[in-house]
Amino acid sequence: MLNRNAEALFWIGRYIERAENHARLIDVHYHIQQEEDFQAEGHKWSRLIDALGVRNEYLQQFESFAEQDVLSFITLDLGNANSLFSCVHQARNNLRTLRQHLPSELWDIANGFNLWLGEQSVADIMSSPHQFYQQIKERAAMFLGAEQSVMLRGNEWHFIESGRFLERAENTTRILQAVTVSCKSKDINSIYTQLQAVLKSVSGYQAFRRYYADDMSPECILEFLIVNPHFPRSIRFSFHKLEEHLAKLELDTSEKGSGHEKVIRQAGKIKAELDYMEKEEMSGDLVEDVLQALMLSCQKLGKTMEGAFFRREGVSV
Amino acid sequence: MSKLDPLPGLAPYALQHFYDEMYADERSIRPHYKHVNRMFSGMSPEELQGKQKLMQRRMMEEGITFTLYNPAQDQPMERTIPFDMIPRIIPKAEWERLEAGIVQRITALNLFIHDIYHEQYIVKDGIVPRRMIISNCYFRPEMTGLRVPGGAYITTSGIDLIRHHDGEYYVLEDNLRTPSGFSYLFKGRSLMNQLFPELSFASSIRDVDHSLNRFLSVLRSLSPSRTKDPVIALLTPGEYNSAYYEHAFLAQQMGIHLVEGRDLVAQDHKIYLKEMNGLRRVDVLYRRLDDDFIDPLAFQPSSLLGVAGLMNAYRAGNIAIANAPGTGVADDKAMYVYVPDMIRYYLNEEPILGNVPTYLLSRPQERQYVLDNLSEMVVKETSLSGGYGMLIGSEATKQDLVDFRLKILAEPERYIAQPIMSLSRAPVLSGDGMTPRHIDLRAFVLMGADRKPHVIPGGLTRVAMREGSLVVNSSQGGGVKDTWVMA
Repeated sequence: MLNRNAEALFWIGRYIERAENHARLIDVHYHIQQEEDFQAEGHKWSRLIDALGVRNEYLQQFESFAEQDVLSFITLDLGNANSLFSCVHQARNNLRTLRQHLPSELWDIANGFNLWLGEQSVADIMSSPHQFYQQIKERAAMFLGAEQSVMLRGNEWHFIESGRFLERAENTTRILQAVTVSCKSKDINSIYTQLQAVLKSVSGYQAFRRYYADDMSPECILEFLIVNPHFPRSIRFSFHKLEEHLAKLELDTSEKGSGHEKVIRQAGKIKAELDYMEKEEMSGDLVEDVLQALMLSCQKLGKTMEGAFFRREGVSV
Repeated sequence: MSKLDPLPGLAPYALQHFYDEMYADERSIRPHYKHVNRMFSGMSPEELQGKQKLMQRRMMEEGITFTLYNPAQDQPMERTIPFDMIPRIIPKAEWERLEAGIVQRITALNLFIHDIYHEQYIVKDGIVPRRMIISNCYFRPEMTGLRVPGGAYITTSGIDLIRHHDGEYYVLEDNLRTPSGFSYLFKGRSLMNQLFPELSFASSIRDVDHSLNRFLSVLRSLSPSRTKDPVIALLTPGEYNSAYYEHAFLAQQMGIHLVEGRDLVAQDHKIYLKEMNGLRRVDVLYRRLDDDFIDPLAFQPSSLLGVAGLMNAYRAGNIAIANAPGTGVADDKAMYVYVPDMIRYYLNEEPILGNVPTYLLSRPQERQYVLDNLSEMVVKETSLSGGYGMLIGSEATKQDLVDFRLKILAEPERYIAQPIMSLSRAPVLSGDGMTPRHIDLRAFVLMGADRKPHVIPGGLTRVAMREGSLVVNSSQGGGVKDTWVMA
C-alpha cells in the first residue's frame, strides 16, 4: 500500500467519525438550556462555536451568534474546513483516491452522503434540527455498517479503524472538556444537567443506567465516559481498540523497531493510564487535568503516526 | 403514436444541408438505424425523460464526473458530462475503412516521431521544414537518439474525425500526448447496457470490453524488465485534475497502481513506489501528465507533480513511459498539415483519410486569404487544445474578428486556419423529442511494443449540446454518445 493511501484511509476513519460526533455535539447543545440562555440567546450558540474551536473563523463571517448562522456555518459551510459537510466531503474525496482498493459500497455510501448534504439548506436543518442530525448519524452508521460487513480485515481496514478510534477518543475528551470548563464556577446541579445531556448525546444514557442506577453523580458520569471498559464511546474503550488495530497492522519486519513500535507503545501507555485511573480523579479540578492530558496525548499520537506511516520524505534521499 | 415520431420514418426536424447520421432524407431512415429509431420512437416522452434522469443520477452517484474550475468559486465544480442516450451507429464497412485509415495514420505518425528523434530523414529530404521541428514547443531534445521500448512512442492516442456534408470523414486533429475520454467510452457502454438491456440484446454491435484488456497488454508489452509480472502505474496529477475520474477508472479496471508524483522516488536510475512495506520498483509508467511536468530535473523545475530523476531512469532503460515524452511534436496543429505527406513518405501509400484543408498563417499567401475571409474560418492556436484560444468566424462578433486579426498579424506562426466544416448531425433527446446536434468522433488507438495499432471499435462521439454550435469539447459544455460499430 502506498503511504499516501494509508494516510487517506486513516483520515476517512477520522472524518466520518468526526462528522458523526459533530452531529451529536450539535444535537446535545441544542437541548442544553442554561439560565443565562434565556436572557441572551446568543450565549448558547457562541458556546457551541467554542466547543468546536472555530470562534475566529466564525467571526470573520458573522458579527453575532444567531442560531441560523451558527448552524449553517458548522453544518453546511464548505468554507469552514471543520464543518460537518467539509468532513464528509473530505472523506468522500479521500475515498475517491482509493476506489480501486475498497468495496464499491463504501464509495456509494460516502458519495451519496456527500451529494445529499450538498442538497441541504439551512432551512432543512431549522425545520427539524433533531431529525436532521439524526439522519447524519444514520448515514455515518450506514458507512460503518458497510465497512464492518464487507471489508477485508487487512491493513486498509486497520487504518480506517485507527482513524476512527483516535478521533473518537479525542472527541469524547473534547465534549467533556467543553462541559467541565464552562461549568467551572457553577454548582454541582448545573454540571450534572449538562453531563446528562452529554451522556444522551453519545447514546450512553441507558447503558449508564445499567451501571449506576442509583447514583447519578457527575463523578459517575465522568467515570463512565472516560474509563468504562465496555461502553464503545468511552475514551478507554477507544484506546483499547486503537491499540488493537495498530498492533494488527502487517508491516514489513524491517520497518519494525522504528515508527510502528513507537506508535503501539504510545497508545499502550495511554491505555494503561486509563486502565489504572482512580475514581478520585473524576472530580473537580483533577478531572480537568486528566482531560487536558488526554487531549495532548491524542494529539501527540496523531503526530507520531504521521511520522511513522504516512510521511516517507526520508527515503527519497 | 408517440410525440417523437409524427409520421413513421419521417424526420422530426429539418435536415437542412447537413449530413444526418440517422436520416438519409426527409422521409427515410438509414438502414443501420432502423432498430434504434423504432425503439426510441416507441417510448413516451415521460419514459425517456425518466431514463435520462436515471442516467444522470447514476453518473452522479458513481462519481463519473469531470471538474470545472471557476476562479469565482472556492470549490471546483464537479459535473457529469451530458450523456445522450440515442447511440451513434457506424456500419461495418464504413468502420473498416475508418479503422484502416486511422491505423495508417498512427503508423506514419509513430515513424515520424522516431525519425525526428533520430536521423531526421524527413527534414533532410525537404518534406518538413526544419524550423517546424526546432521551434516546436513540444519538441524534446532530450529524446534525441533515445531507444524507446519497441520503438512505440504513441501508446495511446485519440484521433478526432468529423463527417462533412459530402458524407466523407476528415481528420480534424491528432491527440498524441495524453488524450482523455476512454472512461466515458467504456462507462457509457455499460450504462447503456444497464438502462437498455433490450437494445444491446437485439443489436449486433462490436464489444469494447476486450479493448480494456488490450490496453493492459499494451502497457505490459512496454516493460523493459524481464519480470513476468511487471509493475505498472498510472501517474495522475491528482484528484483535482479534471480527468481524475478517468485516471481512477482506468487504474481500477486494469488493476494497476494509481500514483501521484509524491508516491514515487528515483534511486540509482530506477523508479520506485513508496509503499508501507518499503520500496517497489516500477516497470511501466502510464503518465497522464504533460511532458513539462513529469520531471522537474529535466523539464519544468517548478513542477510539484512529477518525479525528480524520471528522465534519467528512462534514459537508463529502467522504466517505460507511455506515452513517450516528446510525442507532441507530431500533434501540433501546424504539423497536422504535413501528415498526409508523412503517410506518402514513410509508407509509400495514399492517405485513406483526408485532412481538413488547413492554412498555415506563417505563409503570406495563405495568411492573406484567411484574413480576407476571416468570418468563414476557424482559427486555432497551434499549441492549445480543449477548444481554448479558438475563433469561429461565423459565430464571432465584429470586435472578436478585429482582435483576432491583430493577434494573427503579431504572431502568424502561432495560428492555423481551416474553413468552417459543416459537422454532421445526429439526433439527441431533448425535452420535446429528437433534435439535431453537431457531432464529431474521437477514435482511440492503442499501440504496444509490436507497433500494431489497435483501434477501439467505435470511440467516443462528442456532441455540441448547444443548438447550432460546433464546439464539442467537454470543457466547453459538450456531451457524449455511446458509439456502436455494427458487427
